[in-house]
Amino acid sequence: MTTIESALKAKPSKPWKTTKRQLVPSVSLLLAAAIATYVIVALTPMKGKLAYALLFFIFSTSFLAALSWSKRGKSAAKDTIAATVMLTGGILVFLPVASLVLTTIVKGSDGFRLQIFSSTMQSTSYSDPLTSGGLLHAIIGTLFLILIATAISLPLSILTALYLTEIKGKASGLIQFLIQAMSGVPSVVAGIFIYAALLLTTDLRGSTIIGALPLAILMIPTVTRTAQEVLLLVPNELREAGLALGATQWKTVATIVVPAARNGLITATILGVARIAGETAPLLFTLGTSDKINWNIFSGGQNALPYYVWSGIIDGTEGGLARAWTGILVLLILVLLLFVSARLFGSRKVK
Amino acid sequence: MSNANEEKNGEHMSTASQSMNSLSSVAASHAANRQPGNAPLGSGLEARGIHAWFGKHHALADVSLDFAAGTVTALIGPSGCGKSTFIRTLNRMHEFIPSAAMAGEVLLDGKDIYESGVDVTKIRLQIGMVFQKPNPFPSMTIGQNVLSGLKLAQIKSPKKNDDLLEECLTRSGLWNEVKDRLGAHAGGLSGGQQQRLCIARSLAVNPKVLLMDEPCSALDPGSTLRIEDTIGQLAKTMTVIIVTHNMQQAARVSDYTAFFLSDGGPGQMIEVGPTNEMFSRPKDERTENYVSGRFG
Amino acid sequence: MTATAASTVSAPDKRRITTKPRTSDVIFRGVLSVMSMSSLLILALIGLFLSLRGFQAFKNEGLGFITNIDWIAGVDGGEDNFGMGAMIVGTLLVSAVAVVIGVPLSVLTALYLTFYAPETIKRSLVTIVDLMASFPSILYGLWGFIVLMPMAEYWAQLLNKYLGWIPLFSVPEPSFSRSPFIAGLVLAIMIIPIVTSVSREIFDQTPLDRIQAAYALGATRWAMIKAVVLPFGASGVVGGAMLGLGRALGETVAVYSVLNIVFKINLEVLYGYGGNVASMIVGKWGEASLSESKALLAAGFVLFIMTLVVNLLANFIVRRTVKTGK
Repeated sequence: MTTIESALKAKPSKPWKTTKRQLVPSVSLLLAAAIATYVIVALTPMKGKLAYALLFFIFSTSFLAALSWSKRGKSAAKDTIAATVMLTGGILVFLPVASLVLTTIVKGSDGFRLQIFSSTMQSTSYSDPLTSGGLLHAIIGTLFLILIATAISLPLSILTALYLTEIKGKASGLIQFLIQAMSGVPSVVAGIFIYAALLLTTDLRGSTIIGALPLAILMIPTVTRTAQEVLLLVPNELREAGLALGATQWKTVATIVVPAARNGLITATILGVARIAGETAPLLFTLGTSDKINWNIFSGGQNALPYYVWSGIIDGTEGGLARAWTGILVLLILVLLLFVSARLFGSRKVK
Repeated sequence: MSNANEEKNGEHMSTASQSMNSLSSVAASHAANRQPGNAPLGSGLEARGIHAWFGKHHALADVSLDFAAGTVTALIGPSGCGKSTFIRTLNRMHEFIPSAAMAGEVLLDGKDIYESGVDVTKIRLQIGMVFQKPNPFPSMTIGQNVLSGLKLAQIKSPKKNDDLLEECLTRSGLWNEVKDRLGAHAGGLSGGQQQRLCIARSLAVNPKVLLMDEPCSALDPGSTLRIEDTIGQLAKTMTVIIVTHNMQQAARVSDYTAFFLSDGGPGQMIEVGPTNEMFSRPKDERTENYVSGRFG
Repeated sequence: MTATAASTVSAPDKRRITTKPRTSDVIFRGVLSVMSMSSLLILALIGLFLSLRGFQAFKNEGLGFITNIDWIAGVDGGEDNFGMGAMIVGTLLVSAVAVVIGVPLSVLTALYLTFYAPETIKRSLVTIVDLMASFPSILYGLWGFIVLMPMAEYWAQLLNKYLGWIPLFSVPEPSFSRSPFIAGLVLAIMIIPIVTSVSREIFDQTPLDRIQAAYALGATRWAMIKAVVLPFGASGVVGGAMLGLGRALGETVAVYSVLNIVFKINLEVLYGYGGNVASMIVGKWGEASLSESKALLAAGFVLFIMTLVVNLLANFIVRRTVKTGK
């Protein structure tokens, strides 16, 4: 048979893939484990979801391991146990996530009406029925905070990242170290720092711009780190091309490197915003408070989504809690949007 | 024979035929010195109609080879013609690549290793592999490395650990250099020593077949010769299949040689035969062009 | 040719290469350098202001600020007596619970994602883990209080019933609500994304040739993981765990919602008395007098130092694994 003839006859296959027939014994053992679980639960005082889950886990793992042992020996049994334990670990991790999202949607939807985007809490209290009041002031506040924090932290972050990737000066090690240290600063510490520095001994009161300061501090490490990674991805050939044309380093960076990394830098910014959009603790010390939109960012308190949620929780009434859930739902949607846009920008290739 | 060729094709043939000459004389002396082994384990390995794909890319087409027990077979050919892919279908390492697919059969002692229900870990105990880059386990000592195969597969050797250690390291030619420091970490050895350690490690689980994927290409000539000695010793009790770029090496160590080539499409096995014949009187023109150094 | 002649001539001295940078570049480098030092400035300022403004508390209490347990704000001119001891112990306890529960789950998940998950599911699961990391902490707090706490109280009761003979699990009275156990549980869920991500990155970098060597020797997947992946990634995972610890130490609103802050040292995790520096600061802030505010700032300074040390250690360990593991 010539190669061409046999090549025509040969079809690619994956004989190592588990076939449906091979799955039958495992599936039947899982069923057996389920039956055993029900039986034990019925016969003993054990009850509740925990009992079912635990018993099923024990039975299915031991049955499947026994099957592996009989067919392929001790090592295979250990492998099977390891696989089921890993899968269980994964499930245990994803259950809370599902619960978090589902609870938010379910409980937040009570108060989720179109009106909440057009009214504030100016004439409503948290315990009032959900048909009145809204969180527009909180959304605007959050937007203000994001804008100001970004305006402050973005230049600092990108310049720092540029220092690390383009100049690679002697202080690089130190700065890298400092950025890492900054990323570990708890949000509450950032908040009370600004308080201690600006509010404690002066006449200043909480306002939007002061509330944005701790957020900027929290944003800088995230944006710097991501920006650094992105800038490092820009191929060196581009830099060399610029320099070889006689351009200064600053021109090369400004006109070639930064535009090439533009998408990644946008991603870095979005990730930074996502980091701070939901922060509550710093605002408690620096933002003051407000029931309505405060267009003056330099003076007078402001509200923000996380603060709105916090107030609802503190209020403690049913109405308050419901509003809190709605606020969280809006916050979650915001975070999701940021996340998706970060992915979109991140996946576009460096030009 | 070579004189006639020279006169026929002019002087630019002379270097080509010179290299063929030297190869065939080496191969001839290997064949002469080869002593028949003791009754080797098993009945060898047989590949039938092997195809390999990576996704849609057809990398290997219709390779059939019969590896007789107790022999050394070299797989030669230019880079990229599927030799490494082929050898990885022999111990089912090919399937680790997510896009991999294959067709054909590989028979060990007459049974297809790809049959449904086969325990692949047992197959790999019987068909061992030594890689191009030495890869001892850095977190283990030299002694632990040699015995690691037993521990990984949770099997017990009929021999005592110390005896097995000494036997495997002796067979791979490393015993004298490490016998006093079996408790030292494997990372401290030179490249050639590490490779011999990897060979010892493969031997500890007592395979019937040993696959070697360019085992010497990352090593210095001294280590290379030591390992070639080892291969000669090993062939007495197992079947060895070695992929190599180095034709002199193939001539030195192998009983049979298979020549692989790709013409832009999937790699194919062009010709196989006893080594000294392949290097002096190859049947296919492409084989002759390759072994005489006209390309590759 | 005389080869020897060449060898007696020594190599010429290397030329010093200099350049006079253009002015715009000098400015460029200057601006970048100064701006980058802003991070140093910020950190220094944080430490400075917190310790200065909170200095009075340190001065009055001395070392007792950290070791004393009572936190009494002197009323009507009475004496203040501020001690963080219970809060520090409580913070460590809650974080320990978080690490003990969260890190093994994270490692298992990371192993599952790297070595077991089918390609099709893997990407979505990784995305979900990353998404989890950006959930606002107040969500965890509210969810923890409303959804998790009833279940966790039940589990705590079970633990107390069957394992109550272990001192850790005993309780002086059956009050299981808002205990360090529950707070630790919520924190565990919060640190899982970080630790899983770091672990996954480390596991992904396991050298392929060692993995192949193990498989070629006939190892099963688990045998390979035990022999190659775990030794390689162990210190990196420790680093990741410490990053999670750092996060847990500073977490505020999530803990505040589910922990009953009491100024007593309580090591019985199931019992509803707990302490947490960050939550205490937030809790006492509203009604604090001036001197108490300063004490709270001092507490913030202590928290700052704690998280700084843990975080730097963690980063150091993670970096070292990636460099030397190969």
